[in-house]
Amino acid sequence: MRVFSVSHKTAFVVDHCPYMAESSRQLIECDMLTKSRSQGVIPLAPVSKSLWTCAIECSMEYCRILYDIYPTKKLVNYIVSDSEVHILNSWKQQDQSTHELMAALAAVGPPNPRQDPECCSVLHGLVAAVESLCKITEYQHESRTALMDTADRVANRGRIICLTNAKSDTHVRMLEDCVLETIQEQNKLAAGSDRLMPIQQCELVLVHIYPQGDDTLVSDRQKKELSSVLSSEVHSVRAGRYLACKLNVLVQQHFDLASTTITNIPMKEEQHANTSANYDVELLHHRDAHMEFIKSGDLHMAGSTSRDSGLKETVTLKWCTPRTNSVELHYCTGAYRISPVDVNSRPSSCLTNFLLNGRSVLLEQPRKSGSKVISHMLSSHGGEIFLHVLNSTRSTLEDPPSISEGCGGRVTDYRITDFGEFMRENRLTPFPDSMVDAAGRAPVERAKSQLERHTRYWPMIISQTTIFNMQAVVPLANLIVKDTLTDEDVLTCQKTVYNLVDMERKSDPLPISTVGSRGKGPKRDEQYRIMWNELETLVKTHVGTSERHQRVLECISACRSKPPEEEERKKRGRKREDKEDKTEKNGKDTEEKGWTTDSERLKGVMEREKDEQSECEIIKDSPDSPEPLNKKPRLATEEQQPPEKSKGPVSLLTLWTNRITQANSRKHQEFAGRLSSVNNKAELYQHLKEENGMDVHENGKTTR
Amino acid sequence: MPTVVLMDSSLSMTRPVSVEGSEEFQRKNLAVHGLTMLFEHMATNYRMEFTSLIAFSSLWELMVPFTRDYNTLQEALNNLEDYDKTCLEAALQGVSNVVQQEWGTACPCQVVLVTDGALGIGRGSLRHSLQTVKQRVEDKKFPLPFPFPSKFYVMCIANAEELQATDGMDNLEQLVNLNDGEGQIYTMEGPLCLKSVQSMFGKLIDQAYSPFHAVLRCGNLTSDVQVFPRPEPVIIDEEVDPLPKTVQTDLEIVGFIEIGDISSPPVLSRHLVLPIAVNKEGDEMGTGTSDETEEETSTNQMAGKSPNFCVLLHGSLKVEGMVALVQLGPDWFGMLYSQADSKKKSNLMMSLFEFGSEPLPWLGRISQLGPASDAAENPYGEDDSKSPFPIQPKHKRSYAQNVTVWIKASGLQTDVQKILRNARKLPEKTQTFYKELNRLRKAALAFGFWELLKNMAELLERECTLLPDSAHPDAAFQLSHAAQQLKLASSGDLKYAGFEHNITPMLTDFSGGGGGTERI
Repeated sequence: MRVFSVSHKTAFVVDHCPYMAESSRQLIECDMLTKSRSQGVIPLAPVSKSLWTCAIECSMEYCRILYDIYPTKKLVNYIVSDSEVHILNSWKQQDQSTHELMAALAAVGPPNPRQDPECCSVLHGLVAAVESLCKITEYQHESRTALMDTADRVANRGRIICLTNAKSDTHVRMLEDCVLETIQEQNKLAAGSDRLMPIQQCELVLVHIYPQGDDTLVSDRQKKELSSVLSSEVHSVRAGRYLACKLNVLVQQHFDLASTTITNIPMKEEQHANTSANYDVELLHHRDAHMEFIKSGDLHMAGSTSRDSGLKETVTLKWCTPRTNSVELHYCTGAYRISPVDVNSRPSSCLTNFLLNGRSVLLEQPRKSGSKVISHMLSSHGGEIFLHVLNSTRSTLEDPPSISEGCGGRVTDYRITDFGEFMRENRLTPFPDSMVDAAGRAPVERAKSQLERHTRYWPMIISQTTIFNMQAVVPLANLIVKDTLTDEDVLTCQKTVYNLVDMERKSDPLPISTVGSRGKGPKRDEQYRIMWNELETLVKTHVGTSERHQRVLECISACRSKPPEEEERKKRGRKREDKEDKTEKNGKDTEEKGWTTDSERLKGVMEREKDEQSECEIIKDSPDSPEPLNKKPRLATEEQQPPEKSKGPVSLLTLWTNRITQANSRKHQEFAGRLSSVNNKAELYQHLKEENGMDVHENGKTTR
Repeated sequence: MPTVVLMDSSLSMTRPVSVEGSEEFQRKNLAVHGLTMLFEHMATNYRMEFTSLIAFSSLWELMVPFTRDYNTLQEALNNLEDYDKTCLEAALQGVSNVVQQEWGTACPCQVVLVTDGALGIGRGSLRHSLQTVKQRVEDKKFPLPFPFPSKFYVMCIANAEELQATDGMDNLEQLVNLNDGEGQIYTMEGPLCLKSVQSMFGKLIDQAYSPFHAVLRCGNLTSDVQVFPRPEPVIIDEEVDPLPKTVQTDLEIVGFIEIGDISSPPVLSRHLVLPIAVNKEGDEMGTGTSDETEEETSTNQMAGKSPNFCVLLHGSLKVEGMVALVQLGPDWFGMLYSQADSKKKSNLMMSLFEFGSEPLPWLGRISQLGPASDAAENPYGEDDSKSPFPIQPKHKRSYAQNVTVWIKASGLQTDVQKILRNARKLPEKTQTFYKELNRLRKAALAFGFWELLKNMAELLERECTLLPDSAHPDAAFQLSHAAQQLKLASSGDLKYAGFEHNITPMLTDFSGGGGGTERI
């Protein structure tokens, strides 16, 4: 439906003349005495509604359905006419509610039967309705403002529903002529005004209401074009339920509604709590919810039946036992607001309350045979119930290639959990309309810029990162992405850095991934160098954000700064590692096979770390310290190894030791020194003899 | 968007084409050549497309049902036989049936009619069909417009001059118009030869089968993707805003929302988001399905081993049960999520929401969604127990408030009985009694139903007389108070008949300690 179709504006004109006070002659028994109490009591006379009451309650029902299904953009202007015009509300969205209208109607009260019929007429109301249709609504205004030079695309159409008691067909003609004339007059007026718009199209719906038992003086007439602008139709209806039914049909026609009856709703009986009977509830909604039935032409196959004098059709859908499916994402091609036809009947309120409590119901097309087809779902969102249309036909996207077969599909160490955490941190929440930040950005722009900040440095796989695998870095990593930092935040970042320095001093192991690299991976100091580099990369991407971010980077640079000599020494270390890498390739296969489970792997890592620690100590020893005599005991174990020279019978201990040694030697790389040793003795730090030994002083002692 | 190829196999397609100095072709050969080109294109660049082949003359036959196996299609195309005269209407009806049977009426389809533009003579000719199009009875309607959203492409193995010489062109144009203007007619330019048929099908491929490549972005994390089927432009309100909206090639993630919060939203269409590897020359390397040449496979394996953001995103969305809100253009949004099919395969999918700033009422205006961390208090709660969604509408719907409707007599009777039931349980039920009484009063005043107020007053007075001796004395006081108030309201006296005015319980004191005179 186009926004500014005839349905955008509906003017209700209700006749408030003395004759509307006449009884509809539909009697309602209010005094329903229960048997036990009825003895000796004379029941009160039944009440009957006036034509006015009938007109009001049916028009209110029309509005109720309309507002339920279209909370916005479908506006009603309610006008009551007697000797003067009472305009009960305006086109403003805030005025659109049945409560407002009811309050205004109460103030008007029922028609006064003693008022002079001569000065009363519905004509006043019709004139007012035409005037009102010329008035611009806030939506029309908004659209016109937005379109600027093509503002003439915004149409002004509307509908007048007039509830009256006409005298004759001629009287009806007179009313129609009056509307037509007024439109012509008003359009001239509107052409010269900014706040008014000429009416391009107007539908006049005259509903003649007469008491039950009377013969109608007005004949029904189909819609007829009275001019290029005005069309008119006449409905002659008895008051009471006939009128209600007529307006129900009209609201469906006017707003493209359709009816669905939910059948087989299990409901507990009040009397017998453990039994349940099945009920039906009829709902109205936009007819697009039936599109699939309408288009395929099996509206009737889908269980549609005509009811109530064949005036309207309803599609029957069967209740499927509900299941919790709030975390299931259904493929849903439409969701339409509903309104129950019988809003306060017990079955309706049971169904709506069930849904409002957050449960969803799947609906099934009743079929005579074959498989069950679930075509719809009822579900509430924020106190509004929607009929969801589910796709029930074959999908064109069936059997797609799995994501693991595509680009990046073979990579196994994505930081899935970390990205999940990232997503949680970047969840959205609604902000009130006035919420714009200092830069005037809408919340959604802030969300985007937050994503940008958070992803400036974000390695996708575990083996690409060290710092994001370290618990110790978390406080800094969480803070540095922020738009603004407080002094306290900077302090936390600095503490994190100091903590890392401390770790380095203690030579704590780092979770450097060995995936992809052969062998053990880099040495401890190399690991720290990688870590510091990565941390610097992360912080550098944020350094432009603020001066405080800059301070964090400065802190890192200051803490990690090392004299160039050490860098050189590191280079040497790296060379050595390269060599290690090569030699270690042999051992790798066994390693990989052996450490399948995590715990085993962990054990392995720890063992390796022990090795490394001892190694570190050796490196850190200074050349100007005395000859490391204390190394002797270490070598002692190796000294007792030579199995090849064994003479005589071999002892069990020797056998066992040999076996263990052999196994162990496969797991670690032989010391370079031992490999080039003579009689298991190697000269340490030979190269230092050629070099200046000064650097070692700092390394060996001060930092320890 | 599945495709139906509707191939003219009438005798006129076998007319020879005069080509200087080379072997003689039939129009049919040219048609087959063009379709072969189309199939080859789809097999490489559009391989998720389902295509079927229907051949027609005076009858029609489904040669190949919807398939992604382009070899089968090609084979069937090569083995087409020649039949009798052209009768398009029946064939179009056939297309309509075949599509509806397979995909229902909601799925958009492309129909490619390949014909020489000689559309029959006499009964059953297109001319005859179009002349009688307005005289059809309900069950013999002309098949166009198709009941499903469609694009109707006509590939003429003839040049425009030739068609304009007869009424062939007019008839075809009328046909496209009948399909609500959704479609296009292609004719051959220059002499009828292989080259011009290639250029004609080339245009169709550019128009209808060019893959949609985009960049998916989440801040600085990006991935090149193909979106399949390609998203089609939508027109919102042709009156106010007639320009079609297109999905931009930069898909920017805005933030994340729980699946439970997004809550099965209605979508315009669903699309696979397939990561693609872009090589140096700028061509994409395919999307990772099987049956590729060896060379492609090796490059694909390479691509498979380098980390891709789509895979990371998909994995986390799946694990966390979340969706990513993605911006498709100005005021247009969609969502990315993990979709699993029955065979344990899962995929990154994108659904397009309706165009506009507020596609889902329960999310509110998308532009007003911001990072949860900006909120003063975590809207999800410290332990993730809360959610800021769904947004509550300003007004409750009628079914969520206790509205009064008396259109059916039973509605009124129930309300009256409710009051009487509570009247008999006074003073315990004083609150409910007055609540129900005021509800009835309000409605009666609004509906101008003063007679009911009087009637209700009488009923209450009678209840008062029927009170048993054991009744609490307060009951009688409250009943006569209520009855009196109703009577006053029914007089229309503004002092008592105000809509917002409520009848309040009469202040009585039977506690004995209240300081007044003691009663028994």
